Amino acid sequence: MNRTPLQSLALYGTVILLAALILFPVYWLLVTAISTSAELSQLPPSFWPDDAQWSTFAKVWEERPIPLWLLNSMLAAIGSVALSMVVSVLAGYALSRFSIRGGHSLGLFILTAKMLPATLLVIPLFSIFRNFGMIGSLWTLVLAHSTLIIPFTTWMLKGYFDTIPRELEQAAMVDGCSPMGAMVRVVLPVATPGLAATSLYAFVLSWADYAYARTFLVNAPGSWTANLGITTMRGEYTTDWNEISAAAVFVAVPIIVIYLFLERYLVGGLTAGAEK
Amino acid sequence: MANISIRNVHKSYGAHEVLKPFSLEIADGEFIVLVGPSGCGKSTMLKILAGLEPASGGAIHLGEREVTDLAPGDRDIAMVFQNYALYPHLTVRENIGFGLKMRGTPKAEIERRVLEAARILEVEKYLDRRPKDLSGGQRQRVALGRAIVRQPLAFLMDEPLSNLDAKLRVHMRAEIGALHQRLGVTTVYVTHDQIEAMTMADRVVIMRDGVIQQIADPDTLFQRPDNLFVAGFIGSPGMNFLSADVERSAGGASITLFGNRIAVDEARLSGASTVIAGIRPEHFRLGEGLATFAIRPSLVESLGSEKYVYFDGGEHMVAAGESEDDKSKGLIARLAHSGPMAEGEGLVLSFDPAELHLFDAVSEKALR
Repeated sequence: MNRTPLQSLALYGTVILLAALILFPVYWLLVTAISTSAELSQLPPSFWPDDAQWSTFAKVWEERPIPLWLLNSMLAAIGSVALSMVVSVLAGYALSRFSIRGGHSLGLFILTAKMLPATLLVIPLFSIFRNFGMIGSLWTLVLAHSTLIIPFTTWMLKGYFDTIPRELEQAAMVDGCSPMGAMVRVVLPVATPGLAATSLYAFVLSWADYAYARTFLVNAPGSWTANLGITTMRGEYTTDWNEISAAAVFVAVPIIVIYLFLERYLVGGLTAGAEK
Repeated sequence: MANISIRNVHKSYGAHEVLKPFSLEIADGEFIVLVGPSGCGKSTMLKILAGLEPASGGAIHLGEREVTDLAPGDRDIAMVFQNYALYPHLTVRENIGFGLKMRGTPKAEIERRVLEAARILEVEKYLDRRPKDLSGGQRQRVALGRAIVRQPLAFLMDEPLSNLDAKLRVHMRAEIGALHQRLGVTTVYVTHDQIEAMTMADRVVIMRDGVIQQIADPDTLFQRPDNLFVAGFIGSPGMNFLSADVERSAGGASITLFGNRIAVDEARLSGASTVIAGIRPEHFRLGEGLATFAIRPSLVESLGSEKYVYFDGGEHMVAAGESEDDKSKGLIARLAHSGPMAEGEGLVLSFDPAELHLFDAVSEKALR
């Protein structure tokens, strides 16, 4: 379709405006990180510091246990993603492919679990983990995050499996695969973009958590995740917002790197050619 | 290769019986086509044969072995799907060899057989491509390659040509026929296209609403349909139907069609008082003959060497069968005539009463 110059202007104008709205907080985080405390308190604020303090990143990295916090966040997220994906691949596949009596209601019931706010679930979860003596362990986060992630990822994957033609599995079964073999050898490779997108979503959910980490790990500094650790950087009388922002940049980097790595898998169209 | 014996196989979903007891003996090397309109149960039967759907009852034997409850992979059959169902993440070579790999065939043997299948189907050039890089016809060949490479006891094909364009469909139809001649593997082929059924099959099984209507070779189906449905389904354009009351007198039984009194053997009528007479469009001739009548065409379609002439059949016209032709256009005559012919202009047509098909108006069974 050919656009008129006015239509092009409106289109690109809207895109630029939206991109600016989305990217402004990221830009402001970076500006805050490299500004001095004095510059941060001045009015009107400056949109780029006169003397960019890049050394803030090195200072924060050296003075705070950022690597440990990032490692803990990473372990909790990887554990949650691994557990959630195993459960939700099987559950999503079953909901997509098998007509089970009450299967639809069961699927909806799984989804209702996601409708409960985390702050509501945190109290019974705390009680359960305390009874098992798990408070302070990263495992509590793996399990707690999985309860948040599984309902969504199960439905995301069910939707993705629904788009994969059943004939692919049927062909694999005629070729000698068991139903499980057909899923592993044919459906999962074809579902790679869906699995990547779902894993990334699950990873972000776990990585971004604060409420569970604050509740279960607050008395175990060795297990603090990055989000929990950053909040401890607020002082009683003064707060170095530039240091907090620098730490926040460190927290954002892994997600960006993971996204860049998975981006090629997120592009759909792998099933092109399976059918007519 | 093996014969296939299907005995009283039926399928129900709850109270809804989609496939009534179905029995068929398929000889070793035979090419059987299951044909019928959508929802007639033909694909369900094929999936039961493949083991992809469990039967509600009955038994299936492949050669000497009962396979009714075996998993698809244990039946030693190969299947070609309507949408090809090629594995998109594998190359053509891996697609064709997948079944052999699953059966633990040695690598060297897989390579040899894949190359042989690729050579037969002329897809050697594409062995390292993925399905998305192939045209529709090439994908269909790869799907066939995946089937033949295993050298199975039987091929099952579920409308394998319906996604191809008309020209390629004709070409692939001939190729599948040639492949069957060459390999001699027992084949069960499902289609809704009567032309595919008539041109490819040793025998055709016509189905409707989960019930077999007739099993016969293509010529018999065309010349001696068992009932009104088969008569209307086979042939393009479809057979014309007219209801007629049987008149009985001292001279014998007769019916009147287009003002012509036509004698009918009483023994053939089985006491029927009303019959449905069927006449194929190609059995009408231009000009006078044994039974002559005049018409005014409501529509004339020219196909160059022949014309489809539509005309009003009056109140006795019966819209029976499942022919796709538009019944509202009336009766149709297929005339070998290349000259001018105009709508509304009087024409004289005739037919030979010996070519009439008669059906019981109530049971719709053929009266012979």
